[in-house]
Amino acid sequence: MLRTIFVAVLALVSINSYAVDDAWFVLQKSAYASRELNYQGVFVYQNGKQTRSVQITHMNNAGQELTRNVVLDNSITSGQANQPREVYSQGKDIVIFRPQNQKMVIEKRRGQNLFPAMLPTDLVAIKTSYTARLGALEYVAGREAQIVELVPNDAFRYSYKIWADTEYGLLLKMTLIDSKNQTLEQIEFNQLSMLNSHDENWFKPRIDVEKSYVMQDATAVNQITNDWVVTDLPVGYAKVEHRALVVSGKTAPVDQIIFSDGIASVSLFIEPLTKGKHPKMGHMQIGSTNICANVINGYQLTVVGEVPAATVMQIAKAVSFKKQTAFNKK
Amino acid sequence: MKDQLSALIDGEFDIESSEHLITSVKSGGELKGCWTHYHLIGDTLRGDIGRGGVQMSHDFSQRVMSALESEPALLALNGQNQTLISNKQSYNTPRVWSVAASVAAVMFVGVMVLQQQLNQPEALAPVEIAQSVPTEYLQAHQAAAPSNAAYYIQTANYTEPRQ
Repeated sequence: MLRTIFVAVLALVSINSYAVDDAWFVLQKSAYASRELNYQGVFVYQNGKQTRSVQITHMNNAGQELTRNVVLDNSITSGQANQPREVYSQGKDIVIFRPQNQKMVIEKRRGQNLFPAMLPTDLVAIKTSYTARLGALEYVAGREAQIVELVPNDAFRYSYKIWADTEYGLLLKMTLIDSKNQTLEQIEFNQLSMLNSHDENWFKPRIDVEKSYVMQDATAVNQITNDWVVTDLPVGYAKVEHRALVVSGKTAPVDQIIFSDGIASVSLFIEPLTKGKHPKMGHMQIGSTNICANVINGYQLTVVGEVPAATVMQIAKAVSFKKQTAFNKK
Repeated sequence: MKDQLSALIDGEFDIESSEHLITSVKSGGELKGCWTHYHLIGDTLRGDIGRGGVQMSHDFSQRVMSALESEPALLALNGQNQTLISNKQSYNTPRVWSVAASVAAVMFVGVMVLQQQLNQPEALAPVEIAQSVPTEYLQAHQAAAPSNAAYYIQTANYTEPRQ
């Protein structure tokens, strides 16, 4: 009798551990599939009350990733449809062409995980803060998908629900869910097809000859200050980047520090208070983004992230300054 | 002209171009009175009076008071004056009281208020972040976050046209 129970318990444990491993395996496969496959489709992104449809073309030619995203919904200003915003990425380099009044602004970025490659290929950081659970099977954009839930181990991050193509592993849908089980953000394919060609003709922006193209001001990175230290980060978050941000109308560059737990990210902005300007305090939420402002030692701190309010609030209090205050320094 | 004279006494006026002042003082009249007054005030501030220096006459305070009354009121500082004061304040270290400023006590109070504002920006009441959404920071966050989809809606939603 005892032996039977023991065997049954053992079987249960092994089934459970297999299921957990399997959930991480699905995520791992999904992270690679989004980067390695050739596909074209339309996905819809919803955040708060805003919705956008985006056409995506993705190709991996011998290890070189090429992606084009064209935003299909556009505002119409003064009777004229705006040129759509286009996002091109080649490897880690991202170039965004976005209309702004009579100009097209060219913006350069680096190293972001764009949909459907939202999951990093290295899942180690995520594994420490989340538990992965296999869910049901569902159809998304006509494809069968395995649901995986990423449930946070504490209150400093939201839940993620991921639909991965059962055949190819491609991420088909992803939602961001808060502790009250409300969906804050949703991104999903409406249509999707695999590509067989290696033709790269699509990889060039549509040029509007009527508009002038301007580069967005580059960011200076040589004036980073380190008078501060973040002492009490919410567990699981680590600094991934630190840059000096040039903001129009501000004399000194603003420090931007980015923290991530592997999937969720938070930016901390530090700047000295300006004479005659009101310091900002308090908390607000826009769609899935929480924002918290605080003042410490004559510095204005602003924390922005797609994370719960508790996380931005803790980071806004966690900064301490090593030496003098902002005003003694001058 | 009184300002120039005061500056000349404080050593802040170019002596080369002060010939007209000297001539006016020599010729007597109002400017000569000022010359005497300013020197007397300067001596008083430096503590020279009574220590073998000039003896104060009995109607001294009366004469200062009447001079103050006849000075134009400086209660309402215009923008130009304010910049003048703040510049002067920052350049004059070690802080020697200018004669003109000590005569116009009201101006001095103005400087104090101005200085307090410069040194204590926290004194301004904080405003709720919701009152003014930091759009530039939302964009900067979305531009740098390792995984983010919000930039697809960003411009239409948050960005006001930046010229």
